[in-house]
Amino acid sequence: MRNSWIRLGAVFCALTAGSPAFPADADSSRWLDVEFPRDSPVLAVSFGLAPSTSRVRGASIALDLHASVVLRNTSTRPLVGLTLRVEAQDLLPGGKGSVMVPSLDVQPGEVFPVRLDLQLTRPFNAAKTEGAMVQVSLDCAVFNDLSSYGPDRLKSRRTLLVYELEARRDRRYMASLLKNQQYDQLRQELNFGLQDVRPQQLGFEITRDLRATGRESSISVNTMAFPSAPVQAVGGEAQVSGNELHTPRIELRNLSRKPVRSVDMGWIVRDERGRDFVAGSVPAAMPLAPVETAVASESGTLRFSNAEGQPVAIGALMAFVSNVEFSDGNLWIPSRADIEQATSDPVLRKALSSSPEHQRLADVFRRKGIRGLTEELKRAN
Amino acid sequence: MSATQPGQHPTHRSLALYLGGDLPWLAKTKLRVHVRSCPRCQQYVGSLEEAQGELRREAEAQTLTGFEAIADWSRLEREMMGNIGVGVAAARCVDHVGHGRKLLTWTAAVVGLILLFIAGWVTHIPREQTQHIFTAFQQWSGRAPQISGTVLRSSPDGVAVRAQGSTLTLMHPRSAVISVSSTSGMEARYVDSETGQVTITSVYAQ
Repeated sequence: MRNSWIRLGAVFCALTAGSPAFPADADSSRWLDVEFPRDSPVLAVSFGLAPSTSRVRGASIALDLHASVVLRNTSTRPLVGLTLRVEAQDLLPGGKGSVMVPSLDVQPGEVFPVRLDLQLTRPFNAAKTEGAMVQVSLDCAVFNDLSSYGPDRLKSRRTLLVYELEARRDRRYMASLLKNQQYDQLRQELNFGLQDVRPQQLGFEITRDLRATGRESSISVNTMAFPSAPVQAVGGEAQVSGNELHTPRIELRNLSRKPVRSVDMGWIVRDERGRDFVAGSVPAAMPLAPVETAVASESGTLRFSNAEGQPVAIGALMAFVSNVEFSDGNLWIPSRADIEQATSDPVLRKALSSSPEHQRLADVFRRKGIRGLTEELKRAN
Repeated sequence: MSATQPGQHPTHRSLALYLGGDLPWLAKTKLRVHVRSCPRCQQYVGSLEEAQGELRREAEAQTLTGFEAIADWSRLEREMMGNIGVGVAAARCVDHVGHGRKLLTWTAAVVGLILLFIAGWVTHIPREQTQHIFTAFQQWSGRAPQISGTVLRSSPDGVAVRAQGSTLTLMHPRSAVISVSSTSGMEARYVDSETGQVTITSVYAQ
């Protein structure tokens, strides 16, 4: 009790003093440690800590770290994507972070930077850490022949492969628009070069706590299907309480003749005003024999809010299969024609077609125009 | 101390102090306004002035010379005792007036400091810090339930994983697209303005 008072007193004094920000120690090894295996095809060339600060935040100390790691592709194949694992093992043994950079085109021997901007908040009474507070390591690297390297503890390999396939699809599609001089369609596709034309944002909170904060009701989950999808969502239900979603269950059917290893389920949330938001895509390890039907269920609680943090009440839910991994390791992703045919809602269609590469090319178009985009597509293809 | 009661005439003691210039500024002003508009009090103040003048004249007439004082010890003693009595009575009145003023000054100072603190807090401390402290106080006093386990949360500035009081936030620009990436993960996707690369920051509860 006495310690609590002392702590609170310290917080109070620090806050009344104007909550100043202090430059963090210049010794970067105390804060960040970057470690790659010696046989890694991607190695850290240099590591720099930009001006970082520590400050009092409530009853905790917040450390703002801004770092840049320069990596070199030491393999013989072009690198197309990688994931760095970010951990604060002593403070957060149950939580991890990652920084993924897909849509890369790093030739053998070339270097490229990866930026790390993070904030670590720890209570005053937290035990001191022995080594560096944050550890950065390689989780997975994917090359242009779709081979990969890395421990893949965050299961990022599958995501990187999906992003690479989507990137190739989108580049082909835009290259065809350019080739056929369909510039109007290309401009529409890339938001006319405007940065702020994008669907409204949702905020999320995920916990393992299954207790509903209000009265719970069961709603049926609508389904949407891409015409060529080998696995389709048949139907499902979920428990909903205001802006909370619990234990969604979806019945899936393998329509193909190939056994399936895992399915990525996309979720669309419709709020009470009838606005649709693509909430995200959730992978489910789900072995499905040919023509087999099974139920995928998820545990935990997902809360929705708008960008300002105000709760968004769930009006309806829609699920669709966004990609499929077969037992032989091959992946299925929806084609552009699939996306066109799946929905007539232009906002939803745009959200469904927005891959990381699409986002990058839209940025290139915004900054460099048609000519820059043409050069970029020539280089990448 | 109040020199006048609303709808009433000032006390004789207040009028006497007013005449002697021994009232605080505010009370003196109020009394002056009242006396100007009240014939009854004007009359009383006038009578006090007359009496004061008479006393002064008498005192001047009866002031002892050094020789008389030495000659009439008992009269000198009475006069000194009378003066001391008047001084003590006046000191008591003035002492009372000072107490009120001191209390008022202290109250004003404390209220001013509190207002300054509130204004400083509102203008200098971000709202999220206030919420942090409020939550910490609530948890410390046992009014708010402790959040157990690992919680993932998105904000316009970052995606965060929180456990055991510590939080790791991966920051992103406000243009980032945030989505759920698994039942225990969320991500933010944006184009890094410096490198031009698409960057996806994620947090996981494991």
